[in-house]
Amino acid sequence: MKRFDTDDQPVDRRKIGIAEYAVVTDETVLITSGLGSCLGIVLYDPRNTVSGLIHVMLPTVDQARDSTPAKFVDTGIPLLVDEMEAAGADRDAMEARIVGGSEMIQFTSGGDSIGSRNIALAEQLLDEYGIEIVGSDIGGGHGRSIRFDPAAGALTIRTADEETRTI
Amino acid sequence: MKVDIRELGQFNHLASQGAERAARSLSQLTGVAMDVEVTDVSLVTENVLAETFTGKSFVGVELGLEGGLEGETVLAFERERALMLQDLLLKATGSSDELAQSSVTELGNIMIGGFIDGWANHLGEAINMTPPKYTEAVGPRILPDQAIEAAKNHGVFLFESKLKAMDVDLDFSIYMLPEYRQFVELLSGNEGNQIPVNRLSAFEDLAKEGAGNAAGQIGMMTGLDTDVDVSRLRFVPLKGVPRQVGDDRYVGVVFELKGLPSGYLVVLFDEESAKTVASSMMPGDTSEEEIGTMTEGAIKELGNIMTSGFIDGWANVLGTSIEHTPPNFVHDMGSAIMSPVVGKLGTQQEYAFVIDSTIEIDGRQGRCDIYALPNERELARALSALPARG
Repeated sequence: MKRFDTDDQPVDRRKIGIAEYAVVTDETVLITSGLGSCLGIVLYDPRNTVSGLIHVMLPTVDQARDSTPAKFVDTGIPLLVDEMEAAGADRDAMEARIVGGSEMIQFTSGGDSIGSRNIALAEQLLDEYGIEIVGSDIGGGHGRSIRFDPAAGALTIRTADEETRTI
Repeated sequence: MKVDIRELGQFNHLASQGAERAARSLSQLTGVAMDVEVTDVSLVTENVLAETFTGKSFVGVELGLEGGLEGETVLAFERERALMLQDLLLKATGSSDELAQSSVTELGNIMIGGFIDGWANHLGEAINMTPPKYTEAVGPRILPDQAIEAAKNHGVFLFESKLKAMDVDLDFSIYMLPEYRQFVELLSGNEGNQIPVNRLSAFEDLAKEGAGNAAGQIGMMTGLDTDVDVSRLRFVPLKGVPRQVGDDRYVGVVFELKGLPSGYLVVLFDEESAKTVASSMMPGDTSEEEIGTMTEGAIKELGNIMTSGFIDGWANVLGTSIEHTPPNFVHDMGSAIMSPVVGKLGTQQEYAFVIDSTIEIDGRQGRCDIYALPNERELARALSALPARG
């Protein structure tokens, strides 16, 4: 896991890798790429201008033997919400956008795909937190890269065939 | 001598953290935002060193380590990148060319200091650094002589952290080559999954053979010249694998491996190479403008044969049986293709042994990358069960 401090370097773009997250209170654009079965979750509090992005890989922590909280939906969402609040966000003002969770490959082993389980758990947890999902681009069989621009409050999704859409 | 996988993971983690610190120092000194791509460690032979470094011209800063961890560290830039860094430093400090050269050395000193910081804590013993040395060389000579000598004899552990600037064309690597004997001792734990270190290199040879077979299959099916460019067995954090493959668009196939070890095998072609290979497999002048069903069919067929060739030797040497599923065709961003693969493995392990082979097709016209990711514990079990050999 990697934690970025908002004041540690003068950049206006931040790249977030798998099992990483970032929270910013300025207009730094948050980027993550290569979302296949992984899920990108963006939380945004427009009232207090706090933005966060996490790139989670698997639904629950008990499936795995390591405990990098940002790697899992069930530990990643609470982590991101906490860090957003610590940065001055208000849970009631937060809105969520989720992207990814596709089924890139039909594996022969193990029931539901990782992607669909990631989506289902993220939707359930955000609902429990009372955070509304205002936009999503999920499922399917293709990869996605995303960039969240806090200044516009907009999340842009790009696919491998260079198609883009904004939510 | 046995290597405990958890210890190897621990050292990889220290190196990743070190690379983050080194990147931050560079950002602070130059104002350029840096991103650490990935940190991997592999046990490399002289041949692999040659494959990895040959033909490139490097500028480096070299520091020796003494005490709790002995060995060498090198901050290596390809020549053009070093010039770019000198320019950035000139701008940042307003100094002369000569000073820029010495500031590259000083920068190396600071970055390697950051890289090593934290290791002493883990080892509970101080690590001293010798003064930094500015070096220029072509090929593997950028690495210290001792390391090249060690690679000849028994292999050398090579840590590599790749750093890349976000907005300018600047990328380089920090290499760490710990002294073999001391490091193997540091890696020997008493519990957990252990792999005899000499079998790790035996497995790497096996992988190299597999890559040779796969290259041969491409040659036979297409009539094009093929050659294994690089083949390496790397130990990487799983989450770093998609990033290593990158966001470019690839055409390929994904297989599940069943048996001992189980795992995944991914064959990726860039789009142009996929089209070239597919049309060479067809009679006459058939070719597709876009990647369509013809290319898909050809790549699946080729992937199937390559995979069999690749893992063929494993079962023989390991005395186990390994089968693979039918091909899953993929045409997408490389990183997204890898994400469900690392997801599947990620439920059981945090790091992975990745066999990463690059095959050149038709001179340097085309290329194909093969990534094999065996289940770590099963691989350890299979390798440990081998009868001892000379």
